[in-house]
Amino acid sequence: MMLIHSIRSRGLFLSLAALICVLLMLGLPFGIIVLWSVSDGWFPPNLLPDGYTARHWLMFLSDPSLTSAVINSLVITVVVTVATMIIAMPTAWALARYDFALKRLVEIFVLAPLIVPGIVVAVGLGRVFLKLDLAYTMLGVIIIQVAGVLPMTIRILASGFEAIPADLIAAARTLGANRIAVTRHILIPLSIPAMLAAGLLSFIGSFEEFERTFIVGAPIVHTLTTRLYINLSGAGLVVPVASVVCLILLLPVFLIFMLTSRIMRDDVMAAGMGKL
Amino acid sequence: MRGDRLHLFLLLLPGIGVLVATFGLPLFWAVVGAFGLGADGTGFTLTPLADIFAEAKYRKGLMMSLYYAIAPTTLTLFVAIPLALLLQKSFIGRKLLNGLYKLPLAVPAIVAAFMVLTLFEQGGFVDRLLMLGGWSIGKIVRDPLGIGVILATLWKDVPFMTLIIAGAFGAIPGDTVHAARSLGATRLRAFWAVQLPLAMPGITAATLLCFVKSLGNFAAPSLLGPAYPLPLSILMYDSYRDGDWMAIYAMGTVLILAAFVVLAAYYTLTAAAFGAGKATTSR
Repeated sequence: MMLIHSIRSRGLFLSLAALICVLLMLGLPFGIIVLWSVSDGWFPPNLLPDGYTARHWLMFLSDPSLTSAVINSLVITVVVTVATMIIAMPTAWALARYDFALKRLVEIFVLAPLIVPGIVVAVGLGRVFLKLDLAYTMLGVIIIQVAGVLPMTIRILASGFEAIPADLIAAARTLGANRIAVTRHILIPLSIPAMLAAGLLSFIGSFEEFERTFIVGAPIVHTLTTRLYINLSGAGLVVPVASVVCLILLLPVFLIFMLTSRIMRDDVMAAGMGKL
Repeated sequence: MRGDRLHLFLLLLPGIGVLVATFGLPLFWAVVGAFGLGADGTGFTLTPLADIFAEAKYRKGLMMSLYYAIAPTTLTLFVAIPLALLLQKSFIGRKLLNGLYKLPLAVPAIVAAFMVLTLFEQGGFVDRLLMLGGWSIGKIVRDPLGIGVILATLWKDVPFMTLIIAGAFGAIPGDTVHAARSLGATRLRAFWAVQLPLAMPGITAATLLCFVKSLGNFAAPSLLGPAYPLPLSILMYDSYRDGDWMAIYAMGTVLILAAFVVLAAYYTLTAAAFGAGKATTSR
């Protein structure tokens, strides 16, 4: 009995330690950024700001370059997510449900972008865009971001579509369901977890994207991440302003993450990535 | 039959077409361009590629790129595997932990870099905490070892890897581990001889993805890394702004080759250790 008890309390201790670690790894950095964003002077060695102000937040709202970055970010992300899903779905369906010669080759080609460093493709594509006058345009940024999230989206959708049992479709057809009914009552409901995972991943992937956007868009088309980079890499780093930009960047992503993590299943996402 | 073919072709066209246009062709031109061929070239040459290994700036840049990729990926493995195992167990607070650890996945890499700045720079929060005890943090941002870069990369990579590896462990039927245990295997041996080989495809995929992502890492090294040597990703960006296409193509080609070499080495090592092929899950 003693032994069981000690094992159990050791397990509890371990899980508690892990939980505290995670809270510290997340809470501390986020907390510091929140404090910086409302700080009115915060000099070493003080552990708390010397005073508090809403000045930096108000300044953000009245800075047209930052508000335009917010709008750019949102527009680009929504367009990229929708476009990626539309482009990926037929291809993922074909990879999941059809057998054809060279299928393995097509699958490897879809995975290939994942094992080539993104920056190499980005400068290569950037060169093409310079020739086509797509560099420094919204369209150029949208195209390069779609290129970035497409492989993973196809992968996740395909493994989701693959998991739909063919028997179920055959059974429904035998029982007299037509194509539309099969799509409505079987295919769509069973594809929702994978579509949700793929959509969420391309949304986050696009919203947090920096390198490609910076290469193709900056300094004309700015998103929040490229603005933040300019802010951080410049000589006059203003920590409170950078903190405000960080928090604005985190807000929509976190919201969506929280909302979907309730209905999303981990195994869908892991299955899409865990097979190379 | 013919109609079926056409149907399949039309289904594949959007995804594959976009990938050919945005990945296949640019990559092809970059590799061809590294040999002086194509629109930006002046005829076949090996000079740009040779320069990468001859010039200290590029040679050290390649080493730095590999370092920024291998060091965090290796460290991440040591955190992610235990964390993924822990998540297989049921305990109080598991749900909370399972939801929380994924948050950094949604945080942009630049924000992670900024967090490292506010926490670990000299005069940053951790430094201030240490001051209470009379210590100092020393230089871990823009330091020669790139510790700040590794910290930022680690923070982003741990949840990513844990998610995939936890999925791989979760897909192993619980019976197999129970069988090994009831046949007398110790907990450690069951992990080493049963769980780990069965989860190997997932672990390999996670390692590979993390490694390649870090190899092209730009934001963290440029904000937190030392000013010299710069990794190839930053050198490529500088050359891009200068329009030095030959150098870009050469660096890109070398980076791709380096990725392949490291991946091949990794596959050989894990295959030797775990007998890949035998150890693939049915899923």
